[in-house]
Amino acid sequence: MVNKESRLYPFIFAFIICSIASFMLASLSLKLKARQEMNVTLDVKRHIFDVLKLTPPLPKDVLPELALKIFNEKIEQVVLDASGNIVPGKKHEDIKEGEALYPLFIYREGGKVQGYCFPIKGKGLWSMLYGYLAIQPDGKTVRGISFYKQGETPGLGSEVESLGFQQNFEGKKIWDDALSQVEPVVVAKGKVSDRIPKEKWPYYVDGISGATMTGKGVTALLDHWIRVYEPFFQKQH
Amino acid sequence: MSLFGKKERLIVIDGLWNKNPISFLVMGICSALAVTVKMQTALIMALGTTFVLSFGCMAVALIRNYIPSNIRIIVQILVVSVLVIMVDQVLRAFFFDLSKQISVFIGLIITNTLVLGRTEGYAMNNPPWPSFLDGLGNALGYSSFLLMISALREIFGSGTFFGFPVVPHFFYQAGYINNSIMVLAPGAFFLLGALVCIHRMITGHREEH
Repeated sequence: MVNKESRLYPFIFAFIICSIASFMLASLSLKLKARQEMNVTLDVKRHIFDVLKLTPPLPKDVLPELALKIFNEKIEQVVLDASGNIVPGKKHEDIKEGEALYPLFIYREGGKVQGYCFPIKGKGLWSMLYGYLAIQPDGKTVRGISFYKQGETPGLGSEVESLGFQQNFEGKKIWDDALSQVEPVVVAKGKVSDRIPKEKWPYYVDGISGATMTGKGVTALLDHWIRVYEPFFQKQH
Repeated sequence: MSLFGKKERLIVIDGLWNKNPISFLVMGICSALAVTVKMQTALIMALGTTFVLSFGCMAVALIRNYIPSNIRIIVQILVVSVLVIMVDQVLRAFFFDLSKQISVFIGLIITNTLVLGRTEGYAMNNPPWPSFLDGLGNALGYSSFLLMISALREIFGSGTFFGFPVVPHFFYQAGYINNSIMVLAPGAFFLLGALVCIHRMITGHREEH
């Protein structure tokens, strides 16, 4: 038995107990790591499924392996260059920071394109907003939008994550057929029906009351990203 | 000495009722206020705390004779943190959706005064098995308060129970509105005070000055 009164004893004890604790936590984390990472990738894929409106929708308690399998079967990942051409042989992981290459997901059902989806991000009022925008195969109509990460004012700006706000976007246009030009979706200040002339309605969605600045952020990031991907969608018209 | 004799039962009952940590010791109040807006978070917090407290007390009791007294608090926190991180990691691996909502609260278990109170106040001076029971009893006592408060807060504050609507629709049509003070912190204070008061009236406990 070591002398408990010795000055060295607390150090030795601390060293031993810290080693045991680190060993236990490290081995647990090593064992669970694969599963945790799978959960995170799956979470991202779930958002893509949601925004693309997979038909039939994925069951809520689907097994991770099956969800990944469905994802790989139905959704193709391609990389676009600045003029909207698919870069052959490139994967999403290959895109480096600052490169003018853009990831795109193509959702096919039985070989037929059902929709396109790409990541969007930009500044809201306080925080970066992260999400996905899905476009119909015609390249002119919004299929869905989803924000999965934001730090806006709870109860006001944070409503961008709510289903109610996101559903407003479905069916909105990003292309003006008459003028034959791109027309990104704009978040109005307040209700669209009160403020915007009727012929402009297809390009506007209702704003969130009390969150004008967040709405402006969403408008700005949509404008940016829709223009970035526009060359590709023009080819789909 | 039996494994679950009269004395052992008393240890559990003491924590659960006679010396309930929340009412009698007024410990673990902060989390009782923070996580009781919804039943779901309260239940997870209760389960997590029960696991951490019972096994934490047992682990501390196992090594109590070797812990140098000048670093004993740090060692107790270390033991508790290891268990809390384990709970968090397991949730992340197997209950991902849940962990996204509550991993903030799980971390809070470490700072729960109740945990340190029991490891320092009981487990440092008692053998592992009674310490385990003491931790379990106190955790159950704490959990029962947590669940009572959150049941009342969710029903009267949001009109739901575990997320399911329980207030009939015609109540709202007749002009009933959810009491929003229940969702906010003051609601928890009022309820906690009322429950402590009721508990002390039944047990006849008085603070001594």
